[in-house]
Amino acid sequence: MDVMDLKITAELAKLALTEEETAKLSEEVARMLEYFSSMSEVDVTHLEPTNYVLQKENRTRIDSEKNESDIPDKILGNAPRREDRFIVIPNVL
Amino acid sequence: MHIFEKRWSTALSADKKEYTQFVMRQDETVESFLQFDPERGIALQHTNGSLAGIPFGVKDNLAVDSYQLTCGSKILSGFTSPYTATAVQKLIDNGAVVVGKTNLDQFGMGSSTDTSAFKKTNNPWDTERVAGGSSGGSAAAVAAGLVPFALGTDTGGSVRQPASFCGIYGLKPTYGVVSRYGLTAYASSLDVVGVLSKTVDQSRIVFNLMKGQDERDNTSIMHPGSSNGGAVKRIGVLTAQKGVLHPDVEKSYAEAVGRLQQNGYTTREIDIETMKYVVPVYYTIATAEASANLARYTGIRYGYAAQDAKSSSDLMEESRNEGFGDEIKLRILLGTYVLRSGFQDQYYHRAQKIRTAIRNEFSRLFNEVDVILMPVFPTPPFKHGDSELTPFQQKVADKYTCAANLTGFPAISIPSSVENGLPVGVQLIAPPFEEERLFAVARVCEKDFPSPDSPLYKTSWS
Repeated sequence: MDVMDLKITAELAKLALTEEETAKLSEEVARMLEYFSSMSEVDVTHLEPTNYVLQKENRTRIDSEKNESDIPDKILGNAPRREDRFIVIPNVL
Repeated sequence: MHIFEKRWSTALSADKKEYTQFVMRQDETVESFLQFDPERGIALQHTNGSLAGIPFGVKDNLAVDSYQLTCGSKILSGFTSPYTATAVQKLIDNGAVVVGKTNLDQFGMGSSTDTSAFKKTNNPWDTERVAGGSSGGSAAAVAAGLVPFALGTDTGGSVRQPASFCGIYGLKPTYGVVSRYGLTAYASSLDVVGVLSKTVDQSRIVFNLMKGQDERDNTSIMHPGSSNGGAVKRIGVLTAQKGVLHPDVEKSYAEAVGRLQQNGYTTREIDIETMKYVVPVYYTIATAEASANLARYTGIRYGYAAQDAKSSSDLMEESRNEGFGDEIKLRILLGTYVLRSGFQDQYYHRAQKIRTAIRNEFSRLFNEVDVILMPVFPTPPFKHGDSELTPFQQKVADKYTCAANLTGFPAISIPSSVENGLPVGVQLIAPPFEEERLFAVARVCEKDFPSPDSPLYKTSWS
């Protein structure tokens, strides 16, 4: 993988890499991709993909309100910047 | 014979002061805990049950109400768990007491626990060496006698490899039978919660208490129980290719095979053709899933936030870059790349199809054998840093452990010998839901060779 390709990938992954990191990581990613290339020798024509093992179908739950008392406040307590029950972020517009 | 030695049941009551001082003193050398705080666990304690008063450690990627939850990463430093993971809660409901959160490779990504942003955990057998990973803190805590068991998580070998490096037992259950509610996701189609313990029966009792479908985890499944009562006669032994294993590991592996034969098991050498693809398939799938799971760390709702970001986009990019360690960035980039449009067929979809071939081959083998034996890791515990194994070599060495994650089958790492002062383990794999077969064979081996005590292991608090 070249440096340009890595920069595009980093942008998609929302990582603001430094130039130094970009150079180092493009080398390491390239080495792993090279290692992955052995997969190309396998004939996969008659193989179905495995997304999940053992579970046969998707299970859903009823979308109902749960009253877990103090949990919402504890979750909000972990926000880095907050005003009352609102999370503060930099200006969007 | 009691499952837990008597000293554990009074460690947090009559002997609390002595026990707490013992752990704090020992852990100055081992550095297994990121947070050791029994008082919080005592506040959550239920007094009755089969584990009444027994202390245990929890890997710091599992939520325990009021304890920190860092995943070993700066991006979650300061985060406090708002609730308790189901697997942990079930143990608390049976009387066990959380004493602290153990160190790990950042988000479970690594084989040494050295990628933790906070501290390096030392192997109780030789403190210049790693305890393995990613559940290295849990393994070291058990091997140093700080707790009788600890919870870990296993995505590609993260319970079994550190258990092997520290000379203890490490169980990776069948995928889905233990709830993951409260586990910080790394690779969702592979992650399981497992146990590290000093004896086989300890792993067994803890597993049996933890398993079960959970309405809070829609990927959890009911455990139907063993189909044949855990009976094992035939054991398939993966042929150890010359030169692949370190001489000490090769010797220990042969010793384990001999032990099985002496105990009346029929052993048969087997080759697994798809083994050569397990590492590329594993890293393709694991990194792809990790890149999606770790998209939630944005510096907005929780965790580390970069200072003075000009826009919310900058806030995300800068928080992630400053908060994640190098190994995490590598895996996120790799995972993002294999999922990029135009590359999916070549990598991710192809890996998912080969994963099917791997499962098929293992399933076929289990028509002929009851359990499969293979090594855990090709080397003994290695030294801190890159001098003995580089991060890339460490990934390639996940070969023996990650097959059980790709197939979802249960596996256990058991101690097989001590070579040149360092413990070595071997691994048993069974068909889905056949944990009982693993425990049965592990128990037989335990009679001949129980978990060896590390030089730091002590049986009294003074």
